[in-house]
Amino acid sequence: GVLAHLEMLEVQAHEAAVKQEEMERQAEKLARLKARVQELRLRRNELRAKVDLQQNRQLGKGGIASDPAQFTTQAILERKMKSVKAMLQLFYLTGISGKLTKRGVCFCISTAYEGTYLDLYYLDLVITLEVQIHCHSIPIFIPLEQLAKKYLQTDIRRFLSVLSDHLNAYVRRRYQADQLQEHFSDQIEGTLQRNSLCNLLVFNYNVSHKGKTFPFNVRLLYGDLCRSLPTEVIVSCTPDAPKFLAETAAAHSDLFRRVALHKAFCSFSSAEERLD
Amino acid sequence: MDETVTEYIRRTILKFPRDEVKTMLEKWGFLSETQLQTLNFCQVKEKVSREVAQLCEENSAGIKQAAALDIIYNQAHPNKRVWSVYRMNKAGEEMEFFDLRDFKNKFKRRLQSALKNVTINFEEYEDNAIWIRIAWGTPHRKPNQYKTSYVVYHSQTPYVFISASVLKSNLPLLCQALLAASNYHDISEMELRSHSLNSLKDIVFKRYSQVSHFTIVFLFFSSLLSSSAADLRIIQENRNQRERIERMNWEAFGDGPLPKIEFAQYKLETMFKSNPKLDVLDKEPFRCLVKFSSPHLLESLKSLAPAGMADAPLSTLLTCIPQKARNYFRIRDRKALLSGSFVSP
Repeated sequence: GVLAHLEMLEVQAHEAAVKQEEMERQAEKLARLKARVQELRLRRNELRAKVDLQQNRQLGKGGIASDPAQFTTQAILERKMKSVKAMLQLFYLTGISGKLTKRGVCFCISTAYEGTYLDLYYLDLVITLEVQIHCHSIPIFIPLEQLAKKYLQTDIRRFLSVLSDHLNAYVRRRYQADQLQEHFSDQIEGTLQRNSLCNLLVFNYNVSHKGKTFPFNVRLLYGDLCRSLPTEVIVSCTPDAPKFLAETAAAHSDLFRRVALHKAFCSFSSAEERLD
Repeated sequence: MDETVTEYIRRTILKFPRDEVKTMLEKWGFLSETQLQTLNFCQVKEKVSREVAQLCEENSAGIKQAAALDIIYNQAHPNKRVWSVYRMNKAGEEMEFFDLRDFKNKFKRRLQSALKNVTINFEEYEDNAIWIRIAWGTPHRKPNQYKTSYVVYHSQTPYVFISASVLKSNLPLLCQALLAASNYHDISEMELRSHSLNSLKDIVFKRYSQVSHFTIVFLFFSSLLSSSAADLRIIQENRNQRERIERMNWEAFGDGPLPKIEFAQYKLETMFKSNPKLDVLDKEPFRCLVKFSSPHLLESLKSLAPAGMADAPLSTLLTCIPQKARNYFRIRDRKALLSGSFVSP
């Protein structure tokens, strides 16, 4: 009856009141957040204005930010060190590695041939206003001073690259001559004439044909110190040798120009085996 | 003729230490295997030398073979001689194609055209060293095989190592021949002398271990390791000072074995500075010579400061010997007019 109806109305009113409260709370929260947003927007605008002001001030001083400090010796030094650091990263894979030192940088040049690591050479540079070689382990017959005079002050990268070429080529020429003496000594007559740089080799070797051996003389001149193949080859046989040997001499001469020395001799012995 | 040659060979054999005679004869290769087997190397050297001389006479040994044996002896015992270093200069920067045969021919031709009575022999070794033995005569007398000069030259380098004998007058001839043979322009003697040929090579070819920054890292870590192994009950009172001395020593002398030189000589020449009354002394320069000798001078200098006998750092006049490649110094007054360094070149 009536009481139940009244109860129902009471519950409804209560629910409505709760809802109302909830909505009011939400509205309050919203208003609070809106106010916060306003606050932050205001702050952001303030900071933006500050930044703009500073930039304008800098530009106002005349186009490019000209800092007189950039030309001091300290700045020059720092730039040099930076470029050296960049070079160190670049060169790591090319067999030239380096380490920064207190006064400059120490480079280590490694040489290799056909997958075999050969000698290591180091070069200790002191970098002040000019670059100086403090100490090194480069052999005396490599033209280090010449190369330094040409490239060291202006282009360290080129200097190292050319020096590395010289060292690698020297080590490879020496390797070929050593291999020849070690593995093909039975084909060589007498001694192998060489020199410190291994850029001139003269020796006699035997060529066998149909059971007979003929002495050949070869003179290998390595005109380019950065290369490990000769630029000039003269292969000659004795004056009384049969005519057809001239062809062989020419063929050998051509081979020596194109192929490493010990490999050329390898091909001789295998060719002879094939003929026999 | 033969007798003098065999006598010369006999005396050369006597120079070798007894345990080396057999290997040297084998290296020489003049006596055959069977002949070598007849020799008894256990006897007194005097007897061995006589037997060898006998065999050499049977084989008709000539001056060439005798010279070859002498070269072998000197190459095995270079420290018996005093070596000077000479430096050659080139005009241009052309690349050198050092042709050994060419070098030998030019050298011989040049020397023999100036002095007919001279014996010249060459020998090459694996480290690209060319040994030249010269026995000097006079225009009227045959070469005296006992008065020899030796030259050691590495191709394509500007340095020559010369052990001249008593006959210093032949030195200009020798230098001229070297220049002609090697295509260099001029030659001058460096202020560097020693008994140890290899050490001289180490100095001028810069083969000794100079202080390199690669060694810095190793040294630093190794010193840390060694200090940790020390007995903790021992307290190092002067640790700082010792470390300071060690560091300065290491900066001056580097890390590895030092080249072996036996002496350093300093000639001082200065004007006596006093009150004007002592006129006499003012006119004459005051001369003084200080000579340091040691079986191994650089090592002993290195040990001076750690031993407490000298203050570290040592004077640069002492420590600059390997870097400057000289052990003969002339110290003169710093002239007011000239701005040159006061250690004369």
